[in-house]
Amino acid sequence: MIHFQNVSFRYDDNGDGAVRNLNFTVKKGECVLLTGRSGCGKTTLLRLANGLIPNYFSGNLEGKIIVDQMEVSETPLYQIAERVGTVFQNPRTQFFNVDTDSEIAFGMENKGMDSAYMKKRVIQTAEELKITNLLGRNIFSLSGGEKQKIAFASIYAMNPEIYLLDEPSSNLDVISIEALRQQLKLLKEQGKTILIAEHRLYYLKDLADRIFYLEEGEIKESYNCQDFLKLSDRQREEKGLRMMEYKNSSFCNQPQLFQKPVLEINDLSVGYKKQAVRSNINLAARGGEIIALLGQNGAGKSTFCRTLCGILKPLSGTFRRNGQVLTQKERRAKAYMVMQDVNYQLFAESVEKECGFGIKNPDENKICTTMHRLGLYPYRERHPNTLSGGQKQRTAVAVSMMCKKELLVFDEPTSGLDFDGMANVSKLMGDLAESGKIVFVVTHDYELITRICTRIIYFDACGQMEDALVSKKTLPDLMGFFPTQKDLFLS
Amino acid sequence: MKAVKFDPRTKIALLLFCILCTTFSGTLELQLILTFMIAVFGLLAGKYKYAVLGLVCYGVLWGTSQLILQSLTGIWQAMFAAFFALVHKVYPCGMMSGIMIGSTKISEFMVALYRLHMPRSIVIPFAVMMRYVPVVFEDWQYIKDAMKMRDVTPSIKGLFTNPSMTVECVYVPLMMAASKTADELSIASVARGIENPNPRSSLIEIHFCVQDWLAVFVFLAFFMTTLALRGGFI
Repeated sequence: MIHFQNVSFRYDDNGDGAVRNLNFTVKKGECVLLTGRSGCGKTTLLRLANGLIPNYFSGNLEGKIIVDQMEVSETPLYQIAERVGTVFQNPRTQFFNVDTDSEIAFGMENKGMDSAYMKKRVIQTAEELKITNLLGRNIFSLSGGEKQKIAFASIYAMNPEIYLLDEPSSNLDVISIEALRQQLKLLKEQGKTILIAEHRLYYLKDLADRIFYLEEGEIKESYNCQDFLKLSDRQREEKGLRMMEYKNSSFCNQPQLFQKPVLEINDLSVGYKKQAVRSNINLAARGGEIIALLGQNGAGKSTFCRTLCGILKPLSGTFRRNGQVLTQKERRAKAYMVMQDVNYQLFAESVEKECGFGIKNPDENKICTTMHRLGLYPYRERHPNTLSGGQKQRTAVAVSMMCKKELLVFDEPTSGLDFDGMANVSKLMGDLAESGKIVFVVTHDYELITRICTRIIYFDACGQMEDALVSKKTLPDLMGFFPTQKDLFLS
Repeated sequence: MKAVKFDPRTKIALLLFCILCTTFSGTLELQLILTFMIAVFGLLAGKYKYAVLGLVCYGVLWGTSQLILQSLTGIWQAMFAAFFALVHKVYPCGMMSGIMIGSTKISEFMVALYRLHMPRSIVIPFAVMMRYVPVVFEDWQYIKDAMKMRDVTPSIKGLFTNPSMTVECVYVPLMMAASKTADELSIASVARGIENPNPRSSLIEIHFCVQDWLAVFVFLAFFMTTLALRGGFI
């Protein structure tokens, strides 16, 4: 179905993601998982298979790629698109219409299919993928997980033989990932060929027939699923791979608690325009704690964080720091959020200027030491947008240090990161906690939680809040916070 | 009241008439009537809040202009009159575009433009642009949050007290987000065959019906009247 023969490719700008000596064949009905560190060429391989290379991205291509009897480099993209469907990483930017029905029909419209057939096919698609509740909606009002379902449906409606998925889970929560798993299962049952590039591996455990491990653009190893599961944690981490199974991981997180600062939240209720999203929030946190904030989409995590950072006014309740009530302005001065998309919060033309941005008479020495501490000094002249994702995060953290923030909120800092990236983020959070700051992290990443978090706050769907310390003893409870995944985690 | 469905081609035609009318009309009264007609069209098309609000704002603007014309003299009058004349020319077209974009689905637009035999090189960028507008609003929300945490006020006031910084804060992340979004959007649409040279079909069928003929006729009649008044025939 997919055949690569001596394929090598290098992008014109000589950037990351070049691939070398790719030789493999994927049979009809097989599901192949591509994994490896960021920049190892997973995405490039998918682009070679769907014709985006060389039709959209240019570069130096050698070798021969045959997909479903088509010679990819000689076939126009729209013809490949009829038989090869691709689901991309970012749910926000892969839909073209504003309403869901048209979006599902988009590929068929391009093909020029008959309108009566399309109407039938849209409904059939929605039924088979169990998303009839999403028909007739405005896509901008959907959650990330729902958007991803529509993106998937749009491909499914065209009924291609081959599905390519590029890190489809990286912006999804646990429940949406489970839905994605079900969809992939359906495709397998239909005998479709699937190629999927992913960092998050656990949900593919029962689906992947073969696993290709890529390193620096080459397929270094090819496993079947059983052999892959036999890799020890150490071997896996050396390869920069995330967990394949959720199991009792090591807990090394003994919080070193500080006397100060102490944050107390009493009877807080948060929401927009007088409408409460979440009420009765009571908690106290001390410097040195790393608190994971869990809950489904819409449970009020981000509303809570925005209130915590002084962006939103609370509907009622108080925040106290060391006993003193904090106003909204004071919270804004003391708290800082590292956003999921860090690009929104970097404004200046160099890392150094970014650190001093908005501060009157910034202290040059302090900027220097902060950059050294975070390993940003070699990049001080670079434009923040030319940095890698992890470096951008660290730049944002540097800003928070310059502004003397005591409380940091990380919003999904590990989405789409490989093991190394995740380990770096957790080290960064650990360092912050060690210097006495309070760290909150909104996350769905079980591996990150067990690695670094000291405490969990879970917002459930019925307005209740659970609060637990992370330790080996509370592990069963912890797994209870991932309800639909319970059996997966415990397997 | 159920919204009347207008063909996207009608909306494009009406927008053209709006541009022509504001170009040729001489008096404020005619502009007021035109805006009123646009508001009625907006109500019919189902953009109730937008239509009412648009009309009320224009009413205030119109009243202010009248007041200025009557109470001010000399250089002040000339200055304000020039400014308001420009606003009066732009406002109805802006309002019509708003109704047009708000009440039409992107796929409908694409079919309409293809039926008008527009080339692909115009239709696809146009559709991407329309798709991009709501994204800007989303991006803006995030950027506003980020600015607040850096103690930069995202407001008109901030624009005056600290102009360079405010501008930098808005346009740098917005541009960066824009280039990334545009790229990913094009990739996702190319990978689903948007470049297919065969005729494109549409899930939603569009037809030119009675209501379309009526709307076009009313606006055409108004345009003729405007011309006649200008030429001194009436």
